[in-house]
Amino acid sequence: MRKGNTLTERNVDDLLDKLRGLFADITARDIMIKSVVTLTKDRTMWQAKELMRICKISGVPITDGNSQLEGIVSIEDIIVALEGNHITDPIEKHMTRNLVTFSPEMNLETLIERFNRYRYGRFPVVDSDGKLVGIISKKDIIGAILDKFRLIYVHDNRRREILEQSVDWFDKSLISGDYVEKTSADFVYHIDYTDVDTAGVGSAKLKSYLKTLTDDDTLIRRVSIACYEAEVNVVIHSGSEGYIFAWYDEDVTRVRVEDYGRGIENVEQAMKEGFSTASDHVRELGFGAGMGLPNMRRYSDKMVVVSEAGKGVVLEMHFYRNGRK
Amino acid sequence: MMTLSRIIEILGCEILYCGDEDPEVESVGAADLMSDVLAFGGPGMILVTGLNSPQCVRTASVVGATAVVIIRKRNVPETTIELAKELDMPLVHARMSMYRACGILFNENLGDSLEEGKHID
Ligand SMILES: Nc1ncnc2c1ncn2[C@@H]1O[C@H](COP(=O)(O)OP(=O)(O)OP(=O)(O)O)[C@@H](O)[C@H]1O
Ligand SMILES: [Mg+2]
Repeated sequence: MRKGNTLTERNVDDLLDKLRGLFADITARDIMIKSVVTLTKDRTMWQAKELMRICKISGVPITDGNSQLEGIVSIEDIIVALEGNHITDPIEKHMTRNLVTFSPEMNLETLIERFNRYRYGRFPVVDSDGKLVGIISKKDIIGAILDKFRLIYVHDNRRREILEQSVDWFDKSLISGDYVEKTSADFVYHIDYTDVDTAGVGSAKLKSYLKTLTDDDTLIRRVSIACYEAEVNVVIHSGSEGYIFAWYDEDVTRVRVEDYGRGIENVEQAMKEGFSTASDHVRELGFGAGMGLPNMRRYSDKMVVVSEAGKGVVLEMHFYRNGRK
Repeated sequence: MMTLSRIIEILGCEILYCGDEDPEVESVGAADLMSDVLAFGGPGMILVTGLNSPQCVRTASVVGATAVVIIRKRNVPETTIELAKELDMPLVHARMSMYRACGILFNENLGDSLEEGKHID
């Protein structure tokens, strides 16, 4: 918020309305963890405890072995079992059977309401056939909201600010707002868009360069995948040359990919999974799933895209050393 | 788990490039659109694809895949083979349909590396 910007009641109402709209389309299916660790009821409470310890989870759904949900064992159940000295009993005897579950279609508002009403830490998501399809904890809800906020941050605030100020965004950091000294970049690569076969060479070079600086393979992998997606986009969509700039620091690796081509008319739409304007010809080259920008967002810790039709694309990504796993 | 050489054998592949080692393969990712591989692919997988341009090798390399199996195409361009050598990415060619190749590998109980939710970094 800028200085002098006071929140009136009206403002707050507007804001809440806006937020409600933004979150209205999020359902349990979008938030839930799909690869759920489960046990069958013939296992022991001890095994449930060990599983929870190793997987760092606070509850294990119990199924009949065919994804049919039968109960859940939570930390509380384990504590009771330890206190009562029946930790070696089969799960069947002590699991919680009266379950509150979510359906995949429930919207975020309902989910939050349920969390408040029942105060359990996690809820299984069950389809209409009683099959366990996922699990949601409070952490997952916060994660989904933060993810959405990141998108607002990207497309609302910074983007509007930059466009309104009508400064040349080719000279400014989209994330910090500082002027970027491109000549100070640790790594510079010129993207040639005329030869599709060379798409990705820049990212491969960046990868080799990073290898000389760090042995954090996860970081290197995240940076190179995201940069590769951005580079391919320049070659395939922009119709213009472009540049990759990178700055490496102990704590954060910053990558900036820019082109001067046809630009993106609607960035928010372009960020959606599956959105692509790729022609059949491009698809034959292996691109056009509409997963490039979502992948960049997935692998980076911060990402801002600024673009307007006909004005090229500037994309900035930050990767923290201990960032996304 | 099975070795790359065994996979080459059961698919009757032509070897276009292979390194000195015979790596273990844990899982299979089948895709023609590279962003799908970039989203979910990871170490220990082989990429089975109908794409024969250098991008398939580049994509496999970026996600740290073990090898690339190109399916069905009449031939594989020299540029793709050159890149495989340069990036030290084993590259083989199986002249059968995607369906058949995946069916054979599936029967060997190899995992699905592109199954949603796995290997997401
Ligand atoms: N540098 C760019 N210049 C112009 N348009 C772009 C650029 N980058 C992305 N776009 C537009 O945004 C859309 C979405 O991009 P995204 O990378 O997510 O998917 P894609 O490139 O179409 O497919 P994929 O990346 O999965 O192969 C593109 O189809 C294109 O319309
Ligand atoms: Mg793309």
